[in-house]
Amino acid sequence: MTDPITPATGPTTQASEVSASVDDGTTAVGVPTRRRLLQLGAIGAGAVVSIRPALAQTAGSVLNCDIPVPDMGHAGNFIGLDGTLVPAGTKGSFAPPGRPFKGEEVRRAMSGSRLPGTSYESNRAYMNYIRRLQRGQGGFTCFASLQMPR
Amino acid sequence: MRYRAPPADALIAAHLDTLTAIFHRRSGITHLVTSPAPEILAALTHPLTQEELLARLARDYDLADPDGDALAARLDELVASGLVSIA
Repeated sequence: MTDPITPATGPTTQASEVSASVDDGTTAVGVPTRRRLLQLGAIGAGAVVSIRPALAQTAGSVLNCDIPVPDMGHAGNFIGLDGTLVPAGTKGSFAPPGRPFKGEEVRRAMSGSRLPGTSYESNRAYMNYIRRLQRGQGGFTCFASLQMPR
Repeated sequence: MRYRAPPADALIAAHLDTLTAIFHRRSGITHLVTSPAPEILAALTHPLTQEELLARLARDYDLADPDGDALAARLDELVASGLVSIA
């Protein structure tokens, strides 16, 4: 049995919410009458949505995979508040956590809770590091696999 | 603290009406961004501080909300995404 697609009954507001940020200020013949309006404050959600490479993983392996902070190649470095790797002992940076984080722990932290054993600030630093993981770094595949549609 | 966008050849951008899809070659990640992110990236071809960036945007656009906190929030998002780095 398949469910029929239910048509929307209320007014659609999405388009106007998205387009409200730009007013190109041109006349009917395209002559600019004023400079473009730019709004810095986010309208609803943030201004960036990142689409990670699709990777086939079962839900179980995603939740149990490891994300080391930092990865093996950078063991010994501390993590700056913005997620960059800095020399051990750098002021305002955080020592690596004692163990890799699990995919499930990072998934929960992405939806608002904190990584286990972290303070508000060290959680931010570690999450910023994890968000910046790139292909080839330890933990990238695990993190990329967490980016599943909600 | 100065912010900078990747060099133009590190990104492939496609404009999709009110959204811009940006493929970041180095990470293999595609980012869907909306205003003011493309404008910020365009302004950061040279490293700028947050204050300098706000001044640049105010020069080029009519800012509805010339608010340093709002700009800082957008920069945080762009840094977290990897599209902007701290120089």
